[in-house]
Amino acid sequence: MLPALNIGGLVLPTAPLTFILGAWLALSLVERAAARVYSTHAERVYHLATIGLVAGIIGARLVFVSSHWSAYQENWLGIIWPINTGFHVWSGLAIGVAAAFFYGRFQQLDPAITLDALAPGLIIGLMAISLADFLAGPGFGTLSNLPWAISIFGLRRHPVQIYELLIGLAALALWWRSSQQPSFTGQIFLTTISLYSGGRLLVDAFRDNAPLTAGGYHIIQIISLTVLLTSLFLISQNVTAGHETRSRSGSTEH
Amino acid sequence: MFGQVSIIKPGLSGCFYTECGHKLTYCIRGKMGAMLKTRFEWTVLLLLAALLGGAWVVISREPPAGPDYVVLAEAPLVGHIAPDFMLATADNQSHSLSSYRGQPVVLNFWATWCAPCRLEMPHLQAASEQFNGRVAFLGINDGETASLVTDFASELELTYPLLLDNGRTVSTLYEIRSLPTTLFINSDGTVAEVIIGTVNQAVLEDRLEKLLEVEG
Repeated sequence: MLPALNIGGLVLPTAPLTFILGAWLALSLVERAAARVYSTHAERVYHLATIGLVAGIIGARLVFVSSHWSAYQENWLGIIWPINTGFHVWSGLAIGVAAAFFYGRFQQLDPAITLDALAPGLIIGLMAISLADFLAGPGFGTLSNLPWAISIFGLRRHPVQIYELLIGLAALALWWRSSQQPSFTGQIFLTTISLYSGGRLLVDAFRDNAPLTAGGYHIIQIISLTVLLTSLFLISQNVTAGHETRSRSGSTEH
Repeated sequence: MFGQVSIIKPGLSGCFYTECGHKLTYCIRGKMGAMLKTRFEWTVLLLLAALLGGAWVVISREPPAGPDYVVLAEAPLVGHIAPDFMLATADNQSHSLSSYRGQPVVLNFWATWCAPCRLEMPHLQAASEQFNGRVAFLGINDGETASLVTDFASELELTYPLLLDNGRTVSTLYEIRSLPTTLFINSDGTVAEVIIGTVNQAVLEDRLEKLLEVEG
């Protein structure tokens, strides 16, 4: 769609730009959400998110560099430049999550409330991936004649990344609503990700070049269904436990 | 992990006030709780979600890939067929992209005035030697003269084909907005990746190993 922006001779690739803006927006939202649901530890939650993000980026780069060390051992400058490519994404994700986890443990943050505060940041991060994919990524939708189908080099296709962005917006709206009066700790996170994963389960069917299992099943759909069912199960456990406790307490009061 | 709250005061209104932070109070009176109360109702919901979700996954399953299954257009986009072209080198040897079908291709758009291009081209040369016979490398010059390209190739000792794109027809066809831009093309002619900006030896190695891995 728009792989690069030309601003007065300066060419900016849109994908990295989207990730930078997404990271900034995600951290800003986490800061606000933390102030709202975890006021006493808001700053620590913000630090946790920042540490996770920075550790993830550095980790992804270092794993890539170490796996291609022969190309870098006589070019140390190459470790930091050019930085537009050369990341081991899955390793970065694991390192980022591990760094955030250990920081949270060290700061004795409540995992459920911390996840409640991180939920909007996570959704914004996923939306940034969808937007970057739409602007400059490899994804495209299945063929469609619907009025909102977009033309990609002569073929009309489902704007699958736009669907993903709309799901992200819906998840953010639900996050906002559920954070007004949550029923239990972790509810904000669980309801937000259950809506997002349910939506991704639905729209990934319209992606033409989705990663597939050997049997032809969409991997994103399988992950989404697993996340959806797990989060619904955890919600059910907490809601029913709450009701049972309330019933017992009501009986005692009478 | 979830819902571990210390109940301070069970209120008459049905709220339980908890203290996980100074201002934090959670209340068991949300709409979710009002809608589904019993374990049975939740079990039904979970089973329904599993059944409908599972059915949707099965319905969305893609049949075994055939040559005509995914409708592809010619476009310089990942997953699409890289547009074909024919260009000549400074010594008048013609090269068409389609003639390389059956092996992965690295298509590098460059110009002599482009400093990042100058920086990355030795890496491309090294990779072309490392993957010689397995991956084809084509440099597409951005509309400069044959003598300029020849001098540049001599200076950097480049041996892979540097094609002259007079009139910038191929650059236009590939919608090149900035230099350098590098396309990695699978052996079936589809675009695997487009990188805007400089690539180095490690990135080239990484991407080419993956391309060759896909080829099996």
